[in-house]
Amino acid sequence: MEERRSFSDIDGGRLALQRRYYSPSCREFCLSCPRLSLRSLTAATCTVWLVAYGLFTLCQNSMVLSAAIFITLIGLLGYLHFVKIDQETLLIIGSLGIQMTSSYASGKESTTFIEMGKVKDVVINEAIYMQKVIYYLCILLKDPVEPQGVSQVVPVFQSAKPRLDCLIEVYRSCQEILAHQAVTSTSL
Amino acid sequence: MTKPHLNMAYRRVNGHGQSLTSKPSHIDCGIHQLRRTGTHNICMVSDFFYPNMGGVESHIYQLSQCLIERGHKVIIVTHAYGNRKGIRYLTSGLKVYYLPLKVMYNQSTATTLFHSLPLLRYIFVRERVTIIHSHSSFSAMAHDALFHAKTMGLQTVFTDHSLFGFADVSSVLTNKLLTVSLCDTNHIICVSYTSKENTVLRAALNPEIVSVIPNAVDPTDFTPDPCRRDDSVITIVVISRLVYRKGIDLLSGIIPELCQKYPDLNFIVGGEGPKRIILEEVRERYQLHDRVRLLGALEHQDVRDVLVQGHIFLNTSLTEAFCMAIVEAASCGLQVVSTRVGGIPEVLPDNLIILCEPSVKSLCNGLEKAISQLKSGTLPDPQKIHNRVKTFYTWRNVAERTEKVYDRVSREAVLPMDKRLNRLISHCGPVTGCTFALLAVLNFLFLIFLRWLTPDSIIDIAVDATGPQGAWTQQYSFSKKGEDNKEISKSR
Repeated sequence: MEERRSFSDIDGGRLALQRRYYSPSCREFCLSCPRLSLRSLTAATCTVWLVAYGLFTLCQNSMVLSAAIFITLIGLLGYLHFVKIDQETLLIIGSLGIQMTSSYASGKESTTFIEMGKVKDVVINEAIYMQKVIYYLCILLKDPVEPQGVSQVVPVFQSAKPRLDCLIEVYRSCQEILAHQAVTSTSL
Repeated sequence: MTKPHLNMAYRRVNGHGQSLTSKPSHIDCGIHQLRRTGTHNICMVSDFFYPNMGGVESHIYQLSQCLIERGHKVIIVTHAYGNRKGIRYLTSGLKVYYLPLKVMYNQSTATTLFHSLPLLRYIFVRERVTIIHSHSSFSAMAHDALFHAKTMGLQTVFTDHSLFGFADVSSVLTNKLLTVSLCDTNHIICVSYTSKENTVLRAALNPEIVSVIPNAVDPTDFTPDPCRRDDSVITIVVISRLVYRKGIDLLSGIIPELCQKYPDLNFIVGGEGPKRIILEEVRERYQLHDRVRLLGALEHQDVRDVLVQGHIFLNTSLTEAFCMAIVEAASCGLQVVSTRVGGIPEVLPDNLIILCEPSVKSLCNGLEKAISQLKSGTLPDPQKIHNRVKTFYTWRNVAERTEKVYDRVSREAVLPMDKRLNRLISHCGPVTGCTFALLAVLNFLFLIFLRWLTPDSIIDIAVDATGPQGAWTQQYSFSKKGEDNKEISKSR
């Protein structure tokens, strides 16, 4: 079963939430941001080059122009490879664990896996972020020493930053799986 | 397809049955809703809150708890204390925002009048705040919040906790700022009539918009325990910060004089401060190490244990808006001897307190009177004193009276921008008035810019912890929402 809905992020930008239900205890949530638009790319490039031409007319040194070209190229590569995240995926498998994948615009992927034994809970929390107060979804990890405590908080969908309505959707599905998992583990 | 869908989602989140996108401003819907139900969304703002200890802090906490009990929604906004930043919940769902603002001096934040607007506006919108209640005139953040709230068209209340002078340069300046800050505030609360008089004069206010609501003590915290004290000697307890304002110089004159006269007299001094050195000098010079105990800084929960060890409580303050310490002491059944300054004469009835002039001679006479009463056994029983005092000042009563102020304020109109500017210019003198009118206009423009940058409609409405829709008492509200959401997705 696959379902697509659109939400917005905390700045009002559009986000698409894709849900895939493989089985009652295995679900995948995929948040995708719009791709890098041609307009913002053109705007950034033009600004750098116009500044470079301004400097060039002042100091008559053609090094400035070549530097500008390199800056744009390296900046673009770096941005696509390290900053711009197109898609964030949360895969939750009841008996196994939670996997978070972020795909960068360049195609690079980084994956974190947390096994179910370490997961204490999935909660929605509030935080002060820049000049805003936002909600975010996070995974609480168990403290190996003290079973009641929380050793670490892992935020989910860090770059997409969806709004509360979207978070509640994901939260609820995660809770269903966690509850299902708790029931099966106690009955065993 | 997306538009109605989004509406539906919002409706579920805020649980009000109003789609937020259909109305341009959230605050408007909030106000209409509240007029119907009679409860308010209150935001307490002050630089001073726990973990910092003091009278203002406990006042805000206790008042908030009692207002929550009466069904209002209360949040507190303060600045970050060390590692304590972000959002925390206290007992019964009291939500506290510890904002990461720079602390400048004495736990008060620096003010530029503008830099706190984005965050405060975000909080006011997401919590659907209708009344801003600022505390303490020393707190820059409280004044900032008042300024922004007026720009945003919210109702404002201010509580003044301290008395000020008129003569020196710093008080002239702070009084001017207070005039600016309070001239367009809807209502002002003072803790005693003396404090009201002082505030009205300092800020050139109309006395009709100033109410007097005293502080309160928790009588269950301060109960007498006569077996804890040693009746073979007479013990005088002093608990205050050891600073000039609290009259520690007077105390250093009293101690040797009385100790010479009465060999069975002991002093216990609790508190810390720059004047401690004076007391240590006195102790050294007159060899009173076994009779004068300096305890240093006390935790609030230890105060009662110290109080019950004494027979007489001495307060030597030189200025005081409303002295909490003497109420606490009387509640523990001690005979109180105090200076007659500020609001102190209003606090306790004459037969529970001995009032003296703020001089060593007069205070010694007062103490001697108390000692002779104690020796002759004419002092009332501690339990009797406690039973009388515990009816005087309760937080529930304070909350009830504060609620009346809120009711009155919520019926008033907030000054529109043009009237506010007129008020500023006519009320605060030509130079200050025009300067602050200009700042108010700039603040308004900044607010418009912020509204353009992040419109109110894309700010998530916070899930209420307290108040009519409070989630704190209704557990599993999320799972209930989950069910109706499933129904919706099925029907699609």
